[in-house]
Amino acid sequence: MIRTVNLYKIFRSELVETTALQNVNFEVRKGEFVAIMGPSGCGKSTLLNILGLLDNYDSGEYYFDDIDTSSFNEKQSANLRKGNIGFIFQSFNLIDELNVYENVELPLIALKVPLSKRKDQVENILSHMHISHRRNHFPRQLSGGQQQRVAIARALITSPKLILADEPTGNLDSTNGEQVMQMLEQMNAEGTTIVMVTHSVNHAERAHRVINLFDGQLVMERSDRIFEPSGLL
Amino acid sequence: MILQYFKILLRRIARERIFYLIIITNLAIGYCAFIILSQFISGELNWDKQNIKYDRIWRVQLFMDQKENSIMHSSSVTAALSRNDLVNLPEIEKIALIHDVGDNNKSGVFLSVDRHNQLLIRYGYYSDPAIFDIFTFNFIEGEQEQALAQPYSIALSKTVADKLFPSGKALGKQVYGENKVVFTVTGVYEDLPPRSSWRPVFLLPMSLFTPLTGWKGYETNYWAYSFWTYVLLKPNADPASVDRKIHDALHDYRKEHYPYLRPLSALHVNPYYENDLYLSIVIFSFISLLILLLSSINFINLQTANASTRFREIGVKKTLGFNRRRLWSQFMTESLALSVVAAVIGIIAAQAALPALNRMIGAETLADIKGNWTLIAVILGATMITGFLSGIHPAYVISSFSPVAALKQRFILDESNGINLKKILVTLQFSISVFMLVAGFIVYRQTKYMLSRDMGFDTQKLLFTNIITNKKGTVDPLRTKLLEYPEIADVCISDYIPFILPGGDDLSWDKSDPTNKVFVRFSNIGYDFVPTFGMQIAKGRNFSKDFPADGNKCLINETAARIFGWKDPIGNQIKVFNKDYEVIGVIRDYVAFSVHNPLEPHLYRLIQDSVLNDKVFTVKYNKGKEREAMKIVKTEFQQFFPEDAFDFQNIQVLIQNENAVRAWKSFRQICGFIAILTIIISSIGLFGLMLFFTRRKMKEIGMRKVLGFSFGSLYLTLSSGFIKLLFASILIAWPAAFYFYRMLPGANKYGLELWEFLIATLIILLVALATITYQIVKAVRIRPVEILKDE
Repeated sequence: MIRTVNLYKIFRSELVETTALQNVNFEVRKGEFVAIMGPSGCGKSTLLNILGLLDNYDSGEYYFDDIDTSSFNEKQSANLRKGNIGFIFQSFNLIDELNVYENVELPLIALKVPLSKRKDQVENILSHMHISHRRNHFPRQLSGGQQQRVAIARALITSPKLILADEPTGNLDSTNGEQVMQMLEQMNAEGTTIVMVTHSVNHAERAHRVINLFDGQLVMERSDRIFEPSGLL
Repeated sequence: MILQYFKILLRRIARERIFYLIIITNLAIGYCAFIILSQFISGELNWDKQNIKYDRIWRVQLFMDQKENSIMHSSSVTAALSRNDLVNLPEIEKIALIHDVGDNNKSGVFLSVDRHNQLLIRYGYYSDPAIFDIFTFNFIEGEQEQALAQPYSIALSKTVADKLFPSGKALGKQVYGENKVVFTVTGVYEDLPPRSSWRPVFLLPMSLFTPLTGWKGYETNYWAYSFWTYVLLKPNADPASVDRKIHDALHDYRKEHYPYLRPLSALHVNPYYENDLYLSIVIFSFISLLILLLSSINFINLQTANASTRFREIGVKKTLGFNRRRLWSQFMTESLALSVVAAVIGIIAAQAALPALNRMIGAETLADIKGNWTLIAVILGATMITGFLSGIHPAYVISSFSPVAALKQRFILDESNGINLKKILVTLQFSISVFMLVAGFIVYRQTKYMLSRDMGFDTQKLLFTNIITNKKGTVDPLRTKLLEYPEIADVCISDYIPFILPGGDDLSWDKSDPTNKVFVRFSNIGYDFVPTFGMQIAKGRNFSKDFPADGNKCLINETAARIFGWKDPIGNQIKVFNKDYEVIGVIRDYVAFSVHNPLEPHLYRLIQDSVLNDKVFTVKYNKGKEREAMKIVKTEFQQFFPEDAFDFQNIQVLIQNENAVRAWKSFRQICGFIAILTIIISSIGLFGLMLFFTRRKMKEIGMRKVLGFSFGSLYLTLSSGFIKLLFASILIAWPAAFYFYRMLPGANKYGLELWEFLIATLIILLVALATITYQIVKAVRIRPVEILKDE
């Protein structure tokens, strides 16, 4: 599904050069649930941003569905992102001026889905996530758990091939965190590939595979659950 | 899509009310000022438009090529030019010769229905009947073809007809002029609109000119520039070809005088190519654009600052695959929408402010906006352009954020060091503000200077009237009688007084180059003219009864002595109408007509105190006795001139009504208005900028407070950037203001002083400091924990 080859990312300022990612090679297969762990500043989020085509890299290769993205411009990245990749953030990143319904609807607008179809899809996902009753509320009127449910609904609405979750439970209490993890597992069970950055060993253990990053380098890969490709590849 | 843009905008407005109030008010004030100034400008540019043949009407004028003299153009020409030269030109369809009845500059003419209740009417004219084929008149009574056909007919404007015949029709009724002539009313026409460069209140046939003035042979006179001539060109006729043909028409008489045509469209604003009103219109156009620019720059700054609170929205949208173009269009839509809303508010505000402004300026200078769809369309067009241009920068900046940076809420806007667009815009904003304030000061001081300047004669305590009489004899008995009253200080007679412009002629003088004649104005004055007006004799002496031969002598003013190149003028000869006059004295220069044009050479001959014909009587009263003096002169003059009509006025009326004085007064009012708006717009702009600046610096403020920085050092850190930009703006604003001063019309300017620049800059500095202080104090008072938690 996705594959990186000798990936490098260097941050430069006037005085310092910081290598954020160094020779990162790894692959995520379709339907897999992968967790990325590592201490703060090890490059987890940078890696996730590159996987999501939000950021570019300095050298190496990154294949998404066997498409080489190294020469992508902003527009091509945006086109690949929409519909194919869903994002879930630690701080939810809901738009304050839009209500629950409109926030969830946003990716469909980006895809220029016609209004009538949009309506059905949004209604479906809202009821699936049990937040239909909050559809007219604005983000600031919701609890953290509810906000993250909305964010997940927004990530799922286009049925993306890949979900990238950046510490999705980081801002939540354990109960709400657990709910989010269950949702992710359910999505994965339904066939969505997931890459999740997390600090929680507990949550990481629920992935098929854990990748550890240290100072921008891949230091260890560990499989807790056996991942069996569904044979659809 | 668009719907969502508006949804987000409305919800942002609801959330950030104060900020959007600032953004919209700023632009609305900008538009309002722009609209009002445009109305002023378009009002001035659209005189005489009621005339159906507007584009084909031209006035014959004269250009006098005189190197040392300031009066280069004359609006009036000789009658012979019309009667002999213009009639032969195939380009011209109609010609109308015009002359004022009485002297409009002096006081006009008395009309009555019963020989008792006299009405002083100014601005009546003798005219050829062709005038109705040239200008558009609307007759209410009578027919225009017949109105000037018969001698002793009079056509009245509705205002004059209503005054003379308050109860009923005027047509066919009789009117007495100066109790000496009887006219029959042959027509009543609607008053010409206020925006008419020529507004006759009544018309007499030109055929009456010789019988009533006694001036024979005027139609063959090539010397007297007393007649106005309007022509109607044939459709598609080339005015330049007429100019070529009449260019040398006066060559045999006055070599350096050249007639030419000037279009009706130029007569109000720019009749002689060099005019106060024209320059002030140019200046106002410039200023109105500056105000719009100022509020647009505010708008750009505020919208860009605004963008910095929308990182999450931008980041999320980019992450979800919204491309740059869609974000760009979202922010452009917002800019345009805000701009249109502001324009609508601006239009409404301007419409509401018009009556008050018109009262302030003192005329119907500003036209109504209601129903003026062209103007509204133009304004909305300008709005779209402004909204578009103002939106480009913020939209560009916003749409170019990388999604990662946006989501991390990094403040990309401030990251570039050195000169960036934002600093340029802020500096420009300061520059325009300082410039407008200095310009406001300059206009205010220049007006004050002109109005309070030493005129060179006593402008207070003088009453005057013009009397046309058949009475013979000297003014002496009347003068003696009047001087018996303790309220009366002096009395004199003359044919002209200051601020009533006499005619003149090209003269040569002793030792002059015979080819180099200079235009000199003549007045005839009585013995007491100089002391009554409090003028000074610089050299020689005044006319005196002790010298019986003074009838062959003359006085000149200092300007004349200087232009003639006479170090010692006394005893020199000047030839006037083939008669030599010997100079016996020099009157110290005084302002004879215009407060800001250079002084002109003047020559004074003696009236040996005969009151006959057309004279001006001036009475000087003692301080504080104006009302008493007015009563006395009324009684005494009634007794002395029982047959004749008169109307005393204070000379201040003349001075205050002088064209330049009037223009500058309304100029001053508008500049005051502009200065206030400038301060408001700048304050709004700075307030908004500081609001966002401090919000962005919250973390810094919090950290510094945690580290124990004092308020003073916080204040200095936060404000120093803005203060530096303000000082940088001085480099632009001061030279620009100096250039503005240099550009101002007029020969007599007040001396520019440094404090005007300093005070204007100080005001803007104080406005800046006030807004900065307000925001910083607000920010600093928040507990650091809250700020840091928030981040």
